[in-house]
Amino acid sequence: MDVKLTPSPLVGKRAGPLPAKRRVWHIASWSVGAATALLCIVLFVLPVMVVALSSVAEHWSGTILPTGYSLRWFERLGSDDWDAVATSLEVGFGVALLGTALGLWIALSLEGRDRRGVGAVVDALAMMPNGLPSVVLGLAVLIAYHKRPLDLSGSAAIVMLVQLALVLPFCYRCCASALRPELQVLREAAASLGAPPARVLLRVVLPQMVPALRASVALGFALSLGELGATLTVYPPGFATVPIVVVGEVERGYYLPASALSLVLLTVSLLALCLIAARMPGRRSEPKP
Amino acid sequence: MSSLLGHKALERHANPARTAEHAVHASHKARRRSLLLANLNLAAIVVVLGPLIIYPLLRLIWLSFSGAHGLSLQAYQVFFSNPETRGVIGSTLAIMFASASLASLLGVLIAALLFFKPFPGARILTRFLELFVAFPSFLVAFTLIFLYGSQGSIGILLQRIFHLDQPPLNFLFGSGGVILAEVIFFTPFVVRPTLASFATLDMRLLEAARSLGAGLAMVAWRVVLPLAWPGIAAGTILCFLLTLNEFGIFLVLGSAHLLTLPVAIYAAATVDLDLPTAAAGAVVMLMMSLTLYAMYRRVSRRGSRDGR
Repeated sequence: MDVKLTPSPLVGKRAGPLPAKRRVWHIASWSVGAATALLCIVLFVLPVMVVALSSVAEHWSGTILPTGYSLRWFERLGSDDWDAVATSLEVGFGVALLGTALGLWIALSLEGRDRRGVGAVVDALAMMPNGLPSVVLGLAVLIAYHKRPLDLSGSAAIVMLVQLALVLPFCYRCCASALRPELQVLREAAASLGAPPARVLLRVVLPQMVPALRASVALGFALSLGELGATLTVYPPGFATVPIVVVGEVERGYYLPASALSLVLLTVSLLALCLIAARMPGRRSEPKP
Repeated sequence: MSSLLGHKALERHANPARTAEHAVHASHKARRRSLLLANLNLAAIVVVLGPLIIYPLLRLIWLSFSGAHGLSLQAYQVFFSNPETRGVIGSTLAIMFASASLASLLGVLIAALLFFKPFPGARILTRFLELFVAFPSFLVAFTLIFLYGSQGSIGILLQRIFHLDQPPLNFLFGSGGVILAEVIFFTPFVVRPTLASFATLDMRLLEAARSLGAGLAMVAWRVVLPLAWPGIAAGTILCFLLTLNEFGIFLVLGSAHLLTLPVAIYAAATVDLDLPTAAAGAVVMLMMSLTLYAMYRRVSRRGSRDGR
């Protein structure tokens, strides 16, 4: 979403020396801007910086800044930690791809239907996990699949299942918003020129949706990597993801190793996002000279 | 099909009126076929979504009502008669109201300042707030330990500035810390839709109001707020819903002193290994969340319809 920041029409614009009243107004307006910036930085930017700073801290307690810096927390990451990173990556990619495929299917099937009847039911179902508490969904999946007839509790499949349900609304929404009515014209043109539906799908619809599909995979991956509630409820021994390991360390008071592992998680997810969404939507749609 | 076409070709010269009737009939048939295919496709989707969402939820509800001898409410009695979980719904709702209303107010305020009083760097900050949503909530809670914990940076900073004997902050592991973390994490969720609905405002209306002598407060209250209300309302309800469903923040900051519904469910399921009791709590929570979610869908759909 690109929000255009227009200069405020409410503030008088004037060059040159300002009368006293206007100068007061100017200073007030400037300080409001500065206060907003400061508030946002303290609330939202500081936490992100703290993860980076604490992971390279030798020791950080009772001081404003860490005392001494080193990379030893990264060197001490054990095989358990790297296993968790690998599990997170596998589950994340699987969930992102499956969720995008399923979201695309639902979006294509529901396109152009009025939101009544069966279409409305499918739409509501696909969006429903958005409104479910992750712990509740995790518990439901655990109850349904922890013993016969279908026992998934010994593999990563149960983690993927629950995360797929959680990620699906976002992927579906992402794909559905790309199927804009303006693009319908191209599809109808192709169909009226005699292209069979499969060909229209492959050669016209899917190329149009590439940016949305990339965004959907990226979003699904990022959400899956950070998911905690449902995963913690269902995960089988040996399939802990990074958030589970981090929270476990935080609860035992190992703050600095937890920071190091979190930074690895954030870096990996940022790298993947850059790879997947390297070409941002919008750049593609620019007309070529 | 080919015999039908042949039949039609033969008749074409004989009776044009009947040919037209045939063509209408054939197109009806094709439309019915594609409608059938579309419905089969939707049925296939329901078959896929069934084991993913519907079946687990039905099993959850079923388990919560099944006692030793058929149907019973025993699991609910156990869950709510446990002395530890007695006030759990009240405390969950109190935390939700406190943090979601603070986050909504702050989010609308920040969005208004970013939009109407842009300062250098406002655009970068907006982008950052959009990305911040991908930052996991438990990490937000965790970083607050370094900042606002009893030995955290900001506490020490305040101690140095005001020459105190003790670091002044000691509220993090409890409802105060949970509310702070939720406000920080969920404010960007309000900022985004509010900015989007500000972006659709017609600036000429604001200028007209100003030129007719309305003060800033009057413009904000009588012009901007009513016009941007659908977006703001949707963002606020979404914020309440997400706050109710939050888990990671409770687990990191609140699990010791403060019992909330998600943590109680989680503890019943994985610590006590009592699935029916956990299911009873989960069904209660499911009802609360789905109520809020139905509200959100109504409001956001009405907003998108008005916007069109």
